[in-house]
Amino acid sequence: MFRNQYDTDVTTWSPTGRLFQVEYAMEAVKQGSAAIGLRSRTHVVLACVNKAQSELSSHQKKIFKVDDHIGVAIAGLTADGRVLSRYMRSESINHSFTYESPLPVGRLVVHLADKAQVCTQRSWKRPYGVGLLVGGLDESGAHLYYNCPSGNYFEYQAFAIGSRSQAAKTYLERRFESFEESSREDLIKDAILAVRETLQGETLKSSLCTVSVLGVGEPFHFLDQETIQKVIDTFEKVAEEEEGEAEAAAAPAEQGGGDSGDLDVAPMEM
Amino acid sequence: MTFTIPIDNGDAVKNAEADSQRTLYPYVTGTSIVAIKYKDGVLMASDMGGSYGSTLRYKNIERMKAIGKHSLLGASGEISDFQEILRYLDELVLNDNMWDDGNSLGPKEVHNYLTRVMYNRRNKFNPLWNTLVLGGVKNGETYLGMVSMIGVSFEDNHVATGFGNHLARPILRDEWHADLSFEDGVKLLEKCMRVLLYRDRSAINKLQIAKITEEGVTVSQPYSLKTFWEFKAFHNPTAGAEGSW
Repeated sequence: MFRNQYDTDVTTWSPTGRLFQVEYAMEAVKQGSAAIGLRSRTHVVLACVNKAQSELSSHQKKIFKVDDHIGVAIAGLTADGRVLSRYMRSESINHSFTYESPLPVGRLVVHLADKAQVCTQRSWKRPYGVGLLVGGLDESGAHLYYNCPSGNYFEYQAFAIGSRSQAAKTYLERRFESFEESSREDLIKDAILAVRETLQGETLKSSLCTVSVLGVGEPFHFLDQETIQKVIDTFEKVAEEEEGEAEAAAAPAEQGGGDSGDLDVAPMEM
Repeated sequence: MTFTIPIDNGDAVKNAEADSQRTLYPYVTGTSIVAIKYKDGVLMASDMGGSYGSTLRYKNIERMKAIGKHSLLGASGEISDFQEILRYLDELVLNDNMWDDGNSLGPKEVHNYLTRVMYNRRNKFNPLWNTLVLGGVKNGETYLGMVSMIGVSFEDNHVATGFGNHLARPILRDEWHADLSFEDGVKLLEKCMRVLLYRDRSAINKLQIAKITEEGVTVSQPYSLKTFWEFKAFHNPTAGAEGSW
């Protein structure tokens, strides 16, 4: 994408019918660190990669609880994401207060999308630079939506956004047909495996990812590091066994060493 | 004549001009509603009278209406306020339907919405002068609740408004049990309505019974109860208090 004379204003169309500012906003989403979402008929798992600015700082919060039955993972301008999460929490709690009933996630994403659309049609505003993976429940079960800076929203069985998300998407494309009937545990495993794909070679450790689950009868909550590590161990060990007997002795020691916080394990980890 | 700049109803209590815009007393009123949970859902009974003070002025008022797919609303108190509430609910149900997304408002949601409306109006000293009964069935769960004009709201297995609270509920407390059949439920309601007919001055002998189940709402045609006035106690009503005044 290159600079052109139609891209200064969000309210300027290009001759080919494009709004460049909106498209640039979608670029911002691609620059953020990866976020992944998958759903079965009864559960939704959101996972993301924890990227910290430097070794000294903590990582940014990218997954937010909106309500017991709705969670959101963001990629892009996290400040915009935080503000939109606050809006979603507000909508959700107002609905609960008036109707004593959870806000159906499908209705929440429409409100969110309409809010984003406004910013694409006002000359004094700019589009939100954040993509949101919204997972939640309504009367017909579990749903996963992707909300775009353009004001569009789509429903997905599984999706990934942010940098190197294509790798995760490729993995998900291979496996998505089984997700509908997946068990909760398998869904979590698939989410973490998808996160691993975006790391492209880096060793997968529980400190590098944040995973959240919600489902029918299970309110939104984060998985703790121990649980995530246990899941990682189930497939990391298998992979190492396959690599060959020669490394078998060294492998367990390596795994142990990698875990004991030689890197950026920040105090603010979830 | 002093000219008062009309201020918003935040000052309703003090501003005389705003006074004429808030409800001070009811005018055309409906009397009791009685409702019970039964095996398949909820049964509700009401008469069709609208009193204008002590005059039994209107005799064809339907005080029970279906709301959406899953709820039934009965109202006692000011009829015009009931009609206003029906308009609010109409809009609510319309917007719910427009979503067209497989989600729908159940009786619990409608009840809570009404509670918010009634309580907020009460806080502005401009109440909707009704006691509402909300019953319904959704996804196999039966719901029955009540909201008063001051926003007091609760659920129960059997509810009654106005005189019904005093005359019908004792009967229901004794004779209601879970899983009543339709016939037994109707009999029980008719028993309550008969007592109300004898003893409530604003009751008329023209009633409807409505039922709501998972399938939907049906409101019966109006009919009247058989009454018996030959009780010995009715024969000489002034027996215990003879005198010229």
